[in-house]
Amino acid sequence: MLRVEHLTKVFPDGTVALKDVSFEVKEGEFLAVIGLSGSGKSTLLRCINRLIDPTEGKVVWDDKDVTAAQGKELRRIRRQIGMIFQQFNLVKRSTVMTNVLTGRLGYAHPVTSLFHIFPEEDYKRAHAALERVGIAEKADNRADQLSGGQQQRVAIARALMQEPKLMLADEPVASLDPVLAHSILRYLETLNQEDGITVICSLHFLDLVHRYATRVIGLKDGELVFDGLPTELTPEKFKEVYGEEAEIVTVSGEKL
Amino acid sequence: MGKRRYPDGSPVRESRGNWLSPFLSFVIPGAGQAYLGLYARGAGIFLSVIALIALILWQGTGVLFAPVLGIWVWNVWDAWQVARGRRPKFSIPVLLAAIVIYGLAFVSTEVQPQRMITGWDSMVPYVRALFHPELMEYATEDKVATAPIQVPCVEPLPEPDRKPTENPKIILDKKCGAVGDTLTLHGEGFFPNFEGEVWWLNPIGDAQRVIIDDKQAKFMTDDQGRFDLVITIPQAVPLSEQPPPGQTQTHQVRAEQHRPYGNLQPTRTLKLVWEKIGETVALAFLATILGMIFALPISFLAARNLMFHNPVTRVIYYIVRTSLNIVRSIETLMWAIIFAVWVGLGPFGGMLALMIHTIAALGKLYSEAIESIDPGPIEAVRATGANDLQVIVYAVVPQILPTFASFTLYRWDINVRMSTVIGLISDAGLGFLVIQWIRLNQFSAMATAILAIMFVVTTLDYASSILRKRIIEGKPASPKQNLFVRWGKWAIVLALFVVTFAWSWNVAEVSFTNLVTGLPSGMKLMKAFAVPDLLDRPTEAHSVRQPLPVPCGVAEAPQPPASGPRVALQPQCGDVGDPLVIDGYDLPPNTHVSIRWEMPDGSFLRVKSNCCDTDASGRVHLETKISPLMEIGEDSPPGSVGYVGINWEEIVGGPRISKTVKTVANLALITLLMALLATTFSSFFAIPLSFFAARNIMGDTLFGRIVYNVFKMGFNLTRSIEPMILVLIMAAWVGAGPFAGVLALILNNIPNLGKLFAETIEQIDEGPVEAIIATGANKLQTLVYAVVPQLVPPFLAFILYQWDINIRMSTVIGFVGGGGIGQQFRLWVGLNQYDKAGTAVWAIVIMVWSMDYLSAKAREKLI
Repeated sequence: MLRVEHLTKVFPDGTVALKDVSFEVKEGEFLAVIGLSGSGKSTLLRCINRLIDPTEGKVVWDDKDVTAAQGKELRRIRRQIGMIFQQFNLVKRSTVMTNVLTGRLGYAHPVTSLFHIFPEEDYKRAHAALERVGIAEKADNRADQLSGGQQQRVAIARALMQEPKLMLADEPVASLDPVLAHSILRYLETLNQEDGITVICSLHFLDLVHRYATRVIGLKDGELVFDGLPTELTPEKFKEVYGEEAEIVTVSGEKL
Repeated sequence: MGKRRYPDGSPVRESRGNWLSPFLSFVIPGAGQAYLGLYARGAGIFLSVIALIALILWQGTGVLFAPVLGIWVWNVWDAWQVARGRRPKFSIPVLLAAIVIYGLAFVSTEVQPQRMITGWDSMVPYVRALFHPELMEYATEDKVATAPIQVPCVEPLPEPDRKPTENPKIILDKKCGAVGDTLTLHGEGFFPNFEGEVWWLNPIGDAQRVIIDDKQAKFMTDDQGRFDLVITIPQAVPLSEQPPPGQTQTHQVRAEQHRPYGNLQPTRTLKLVWEKIGETVALAFLATILGMIFALPISFLAARNLMFHNPVTRVIYYIVRTSLNIVRSIETLMWAIIFAVWVGLGPFGGMLALMIHTIAALGKLYSEAIESIDPGPIEAVRATGANDLQVIVYAVVPQILPTFASFTLYRWDINVRMSTVIGLISDAGLGFLVIQWIRLNQFSAMATAILAIMFVVTTLDYASSILRKRIIEGKPASPKQNLFVRWGKWAIVLALFVVTFAWSWNVAEVSFTNLVTGLPSGMKLMKAFAVPDLLDRPTEAHSVRQPLPVPCGVAEAPQPPASGPRVALQPQCGDVGDPLVIDGYDLPPNTHVSIRWEMPDGSFLRVKSNCCDTDASGRVHLETKISPLMEIGEDSPPGSVGYVGINWEEIVGGPRISKTVKTVANLALITLLMALLATTFSSFFAIPLSFFAARNIMGDTLFGRIVYNVFKMGFNLTRSIEPMILVLIMAAWVGAGPFAGVLALILNNIPNLGKLFAETIEQIDEGPVEAIIATGANKLQTLVYAVVPQLVPPFLAFILYQWDINIRMSTVIGFVGGGGIGQQFRLWVGLNQYDKAGTAVWAIVIMVWSMDYLSAKAREKLI
């Protein structure tokens, strides 16, 4: 369903973020992307929905060439791909409801939406989404009044509004404490298992990878150095991705 | 053998001996240090000493050389210490240098504290008036009677040209009299048993009080409303305006009673003040709104993140940024002078001045808000498939709108304050009333206007602080809210806005005609400003003259020489009013000359203003009439005669730095020192006072709460009066000049800093305080180890901020008697010497920029 072919990204300052990365994602997978900070995880995710334009290579989604899409076609592709971020990226001064409704912008009327007018069913959908992540009562609060975990759940609700077939998650739990991390990932797992949404999620902690992912790819200095099942990610393989000095630490801080 | 090293690891050059370097430093400061390889240290010492000496020679007095000598001695000792591998700290020389600089400041800003005592008497009426503003009065019914009298007596006495009143009336015992004669008044038809006053009106109708025994002449009527009073005829006409011998003038005596009746009503003063409050607010409102409208598009051009993508826009960015900075560094009041030349006096010029400064300030603030947008939400909204417009509406606007709104509100506060003083220049708003009433010595009216300023500024400050809180914490409208309610609310706000805007537009007397018709003089001013007067050439004055006996025969009228520069008169003598032809020959061609009546006592007057230029052959021709000034009276010494002179200046050398530049440099230094003194002294007073205005220090006892509230309110009230207003009063106290300016700044800064300091004290973290107390420290130790470290950086930051403001304020405080560069600037503009005024503007821009840069650097170090 998603095919990444020979993807290369060189930034204007010369940094090579991705080097000839190719892999495939099948529908319904929960793909974890691991690697050190700066290994190209974020760039990879952003190339998939073209927040970053790759220098070379192709991304094919549902037999459509994402890398060649422009304008309206690109936006149509994007609205099927939800995304959540490490820093949540909510509009802090807007209400939770407005933030969630922004997930609908790809569908909304381009003129009326400018005046914050949305169809009634979008409101219903937004309520349902908020209920699903368990914070329906916070709808009228300002986003920055919420805790980090709540903000990430708003971000998930926003992504759900897109009725996505694919969910990109860029280190969604790196700014959260361990308990919240599990709760956020469980939401993603539910989406993956119940709604059949494919998830591509970059993660830092090996235990989270083992617990949630159905498949893992590892990036090192922009190159794909691992592609396999979580069970295949042995300590040797792990060191290949993270370097010799790395130690495996769980999300709760224990060494494995 | 290992080399000896300085603490920082650089090697000591011991081989050069311990005695040579102090000797070198003794001869040339810093030389020894440089010889030992510490070039930066040596250069620093050398340049500092040179700079201090130069400053003292330029501005100061000899006494100030003592601390410089101290630095010199320290430098020798330092060289010796350095040679021994030590590095003394700079605290001693820095202290000595500070003494020199503050000494200079005291000298050149003419600080004379004794004047605060000697001048107190002239201050008293101002202070007393502040407690007796003119607010309410009873309406009065008036009885006024006048009667004419001729001064002096002449034969025959003509009929007076004014008639006496009938009911009430006053009857005089004389028809005419001389100054100092007694005069008996008999009045009839007045209110019975009621007091009245007597006034004297001179021929042109100016009234003065009639004085008896150093008091105003008053009378008391009897049961029938009659009275009798004896007065003396006052000197009511200046000696120069006395009637010619044999003629008389009609004066009048006026008796008046004012009996109050009915209810209290506002005084005329209060009504006028009320009207001007409206004007003040309208100017601030219009300037803020129009400034915002212009600043919005400009700010996008000045935002680095938007403009740095290609070279063309990058150039635009730099141009826009630089222009904004230049406009911003010229104070609003200086713009007011510029616009007074352009569109004339009045509210419109004041509004334009406020607006242009607002555009520059908001343009910069807005663009910084745009630069600090968080790209995260933009990315997130774009990831949902939103188009560019949707991204702007959902991710950009919500981020910048609150910042823009609070910056605009902040500017509105400043504009309200500025618009209370813009009237000192532009004849608009409350400031105009203050300066007008001070000139007329109407102190209680002045006090009413000053209290009105306090009222307007504190009220609007309070209102906008509430609004600001709502903007920052406020809940955005829920998208689910009833559409009708949402739009209805906006419609009401919009309607209010439109009404206020239209009213302000009307009050500000916006006139595009003036803007266009004044354009030539505005452009002339701008052009002269753009080209500062940097160089001039030395000139030599020349003159030729020819005697003009008036009337003929009082002196000889020799023939002018046949060649060389000369004046020829036709006729060669005559009477006052006779036509006269003045011809100048063999003068320098195409030169501006001044043709003057030169009186025997050496004084002179131009025959015609803005006259004349010689033609290509060096001739000048002027037809006029003989001036009365030239007449030789009978009491003049024999042989005295007036002259007609032609004067011109010839350039006698190459270009040199102009006198203007020297004047401006001198005044710029004084201005800087004024700001320095004001900032230092106000910090000194504000620090202890601020603790009284800090809630957490004053505690929750009744006494503490009272002290806290008194100080806090006192700060807010005094803060609301701009230094420009204060300086008017300070000038009455200690005399116009830099010292008055410094005092005004101090008086305004103390509450300003006090408030900021107090708010900082209220925000200190209690954690460290607890921790220090837990170690068993006493109160003072707690203060030193837990409180002061938390206060020092923010206090210093606020002092720097005040310093920036003071630099700007001290450039304009001279407009109304505060000394410094502003005084000279206004003088030059008044004399139409725009190129000189332009030099002052450039000096101000440079001064403000360099000081801003320095304080920004200092601030970085603090944080």
